[in-house]
Amino acid sequence: MDWNCAFTEERLSDFLDGALAPAERAALSAHAAQCEGCGQTVARVGAMVRGLRELAPVEEPPYLVAKILRGTLGARASERTWERWLGWLLEIGQPRFAMGVATVAVCLAIVLHVAAPRMKNVKAADLHPVNVLRATNRQAHLTYARGVKFVNDLRVVYEIQSRFASQPEPAASPAPGPESNPTTVEPRDRSQSRPRPGNRDSRFGDLVVTTSHSERMSNTWTRSLS
Amino acid sequence: MEPDAQLVQLCLRGDGPAWEELVRRHARRVYGLCYRFTGNRASAEDLSQEVFLRVYRTLASYQSGQGAFSTWLTSVSRNLLIDHYRRMRRDRLTDSIEDAMPHLEAKHSPGRTPESLAQASELSAQLQQGLARLSPELREAVILRDLQGLEYNEIQVVLQVPEGTVKSRINRGRIELARILDQMGMRPA
Repeated sequence: MDWNCAFTEERLSDFLDGALAPAERAALSAHAAQCEGCGQTVARVGAMVRGLRELAPVEEPPYLVAKILRGTLGARASERTWERWLGWLLEIGQPRFAMGVATVAVCLAIVLHVAAPRMKNVKAADLHPVNVLRATNRQAHLTYARGVKFVNDLRVVYEIQSRFASQPEPAASPAPGPESNPTTVEPRDRSQSRPRPGNRDSRFGDLVVTTSHSERMSNTWTRSLS
Repeated sequence: MEPDAQLVQLCLRGDGPAWEELVRRHARRVYGLCYRFTGNRASAEDLSQEVFLRVYRTLASYQSGQGAFSTWLTSVSRNLLIDHYRRMRRDRLTDSIEDAMPHLEAKHSPGRTPESLAQASELSAQLQQGLARLSPELREAVILRDLQGLEYNEIQVVLQVPEGTVKSRINRGRIELARILDQMGMRPA
């Protein structure tokens, strides 16, 4: 029989499964003995198939049957307590559960790091109810004052941006006269821009007053609370 | 021991212990198939539960005249595995099916030494990695034939393809897997 490499590859599984006719089997064996490539392929695939078949079946998790029965028949009264507990214990050992726990732990650690008091600085007197109440009250007012200051600062920034945005573009060759001076900004509503104490800049009069007012308020809060 | 077909009849009459016996008898086989196909223990566990849930709901559609219960069960498992594979591919997670912790599955016979157990475990993990690199068509054919030990006609029923296609897939799958394992530097003795 005239056998070639393509035949070997095509009929290899039949050869390994013992499904080849004796004449074909002999022809393939003879070809594999002469052809180095085919000989290696037959040996390699044959060894792999033997290895696969010798592998032990994968063992299912011990709680799998109980879970399947719970899912189909429902919880059974006859199910032993230790089996139920074992199921739970093995279930929480799963990587996805561990990942969830780790995520929650990291979030908690961040929150505690930010919000919790520094335990190293805590003294016995700090644990007295009056002191605890006072510290809580102080912390609350400080937080409120910081919030107010933050909002006021934001307002200042916004107002500066608004003023700059409302400024007209400077002309290329300014003509003399107060109307054509690009550096002069007329308030849009003169009734709202009356001079106030602390007004050092006519352009940003409102801003300065607002800033100094907010700073004074925040500083007063902070001083009175500390 | 009662045959599977008889247990199925008892299950259909509402016999709980008969269903329990069926599950105990086939859980390992189904789990093994799912694990070998997905390469992931958590997925294999979920899929095994899904398989038995579907079998429980559609048990009445099994007809013993059409083939063995185990073949029908394998068909149900295979359909769910293919659905799972398509879902995973859609989610672009198909390539990450290698399990971080290779499952220790060596035979626990007293005659085996710790060295041979370790070798068997390593061999299993490497084979699993090689299987994961096969295309799903070839992978399922090799798993059904060489790991589950199904005959060609049974695989034909499970895969719903002609016998020639089954043979061709098994042949190509074996040659391809051997080539992959060779590339990985693994040479089974």
